[in-house]
Amino acid sequence: MSEGGEMQRVSIILAALAGIVLGQLAAPQTAAQQRATLSLVTAGDQNMVDYVKDYLGPMFEKDHPGVTVKAVGTGPGDGGSQKIYEKLEAEKNNSSWDIDVAVIHQKAAGEMVTKGLLARYTAEVPTAKLVTSEAAKRALGADVDGYVMPMFNSQTAIAYNTEMVKAPPSTYAELEKWVQQNPKKFGYNGIKGGMSGVSFVVGWIYADAADADRLIKGPYDPETKKAWDKALARLAAFNKNVVLTPGNAGTLDMLNRGEIAMGPVWVDMFYTWQADGKIPPSVKLKLIGPGMPGQPMYYVVPAKAANAKLAGEFVALATSPKVQADGIVKRFNWYPGIDAAAVRPQLDEPTWRKLFVDVTPADLSSKGKPFPIAPYFNDILESYERKVQ
Amino acid sequence: MPERRPFSLLLVAPALAMVLALFVYPLGYSLVSAFTARDGEPTLDNFSKTFDLYGADIVFTVLIVVVSTALTGMFAAAIGGYLVLAAHPIAATLLKWLYRWPLFIPFIVAAQCMRTFLAKNGMLNNTLDTLGLVDAAGLSGLLDWRGIIVTFVWKETPFVALLVSGAMAALDRAGIEAARNLGAGGLRVLVEILLPQVAGVMTAGLILAFVTMLSVLSVPIMISGGSPTMITVDMAFRVNSYSDYGVANALGVVSYVIAGLAAWVYMRRNVAGEGAQ
Repeated sequence: MSEGGEMQRVSIILAALAGIVLGQLAAPQTAAQQRATLSLVTAGDQNMVDYVKDYLGPMFEKDHPGVTVKAVGTGPGDGGSQKIYEKLEAEKNNSSWDIDVAVIHQKAAGEMVTKGLLARYTAEVPTAKLVTSEAAKRALGADVDGYVMPMFNSQTAIAYNTEMVKAPPSTYAELEKWVQQNPKKFGYNGIKGGMSGVSFVVGWIYADAADADRLIKGPYDPETKKAWDKALARLAAFNKNVVLTPGNAGTLDMLNRGEIAMGPVWVDMFYTWQADGKIPPSVKLKLIGPGMPGQPMYYVVPAKAANAKLAGEFVALATSPKVQADGIVKRFNWYPGIDAAAVRPQLDEPTWRKLFVDVTPADLSSKGKPFPIAPYFNDILESYERKVQ
Repeated sequence: MPERRPFSLLLVAPALAMVLALFVYPLGYSLVSAFTARDGEPTLDNFSKTFDLYGADIVFTVLIVVVSTALTGMFAAAIGGYLVLAAHPIAATLLKWLYRWPLFIPFIVAAQCMRTFLAKNGMLNNTLDTLGLVDAAGLSGLLDWRGIIVTFVWKETPFVALLVSGAMAALDRAGIEAARNLGAGGLRVLVEILLPQVAGVMTAGLILAFVTMLSVLSVPIMISGGSPTMITVDMAFRVNSYSDYGVANALGVVSYVIAGLAAWVYMRRNVAGEGAQ
């Protein structure tokens, strides 16, 4: 390299250094204005990140001048929540943690409360009194009262194509018979490709279990799983006549292409796809008996969140009736996380009815079940791996 | 220049530190975890659970990857051979331009494309149906083990073909001409003259492809919902559903062993090759 080139390089480096130093000097001047960055980490699909980035974040920033909301996603399903859990666990000994608000699933919530990673913050959130669901107190058997605020509730149901199925089955028993008569017309995604399949399998066990309530509320008995052998053998036979789809989206894709006539889906995903034109209007939902599971996602605040006060204000906004109506119900087709009665006055009648047209509030209250407590949940999954696959 | 030695060590230190921190440490950690129970005691339980629950998946994984590697080798040889032996320069140029495209497409994108391409009412079957070749109603989709193989072969063939065709192009053409003069056809020249001479490059390429395919999660999880499935899916499932790193790492050890066997085959070949020379 020539000497001139060397000089040029040195001067570029010097200029860069000068830039950094000047930037540092300038920083305190803006700090008064730029009060804080609220960092939110969410499990779930991209729509969760979009919800905060495009909708909730800007609204919060408008109310809190100088605050920036930064949203990051960690991926769908329990795996996404697991990543948040592991990150907080890893920074446990730091004096302050870099996550202010997290959105997580039930399984992780229970574990994180037990490990002392979450703040008991809901008493300071004014909207906490609007939360009425049982899921805000217990998550898969773990006591989470005071640590979580439900962001939304979601439910699985069976989607069916009305052009191919005139009289859809209304219970698991009827579905089993239907599949025998219509082989390869029902599809679900097993247990490794997403929660809609897991939910279907859990519902199958609930339908057969002598005491389904015990699976949901405990106490846990490791012997219980032996009683499921017959149900699992029937599920293995059932699987021979169904299509195993690749993932939650895979089931919806196959419904869309007419490759299957029926399959379990998440209600919110289903409505969103239908609104986007990716599912024909002829496909409808049915929540079959005795029931299928659904689950909320929770807003939580880590125990050593750097901006805990802001985090509380953020969750208060996110769980206010107005946001629950406009954001959760209208935009994303989720069921509200807070008491539905508080949300209803904020919505016009058609929007409200759209959400409950196929799955009625009565269906939801009688057939919308929680997932089982964690040890039973693991038993169901592992028994499936052992006996059905 | 011995006085420069400390300096050169200093230069290599950041790279070495990266390898130690980001590769050697996690590798050791995962090995230890595979042999550790949840309470911290040493155990082999993770392995008995692995073979009990995922034995079929391990066999399935090996079969899928071996078949995909064999097909990749065949296609790579065919492409390389055509590029060297082609009688039509335009066709060869076109092929040269086309075959590399999948190299630039990530596995996850390839898997997403194949999901719609290979489905029962997907683009492949619909096209064949429109052409009147088949009746789509009677066809099944390829979204199972076949879909995984198709995606793997589609994705890995260009990489191996790139290496193999380069090696073939560098060969002395006198051998090819001589064989041709004695009346050998294209296929015979490829199999008996070209391939033996590029066998080393071909093996190296195929082993890299083998190890890559062994490690892919997106393709099996996005293409096939059924079981058996590949062990990468099981690893993800153990971690995500049960937070069970023990069994996931035991599956990881199985995967190292499979990859290690492939590497051993390669080394043995190399040593034998050097001995022969």
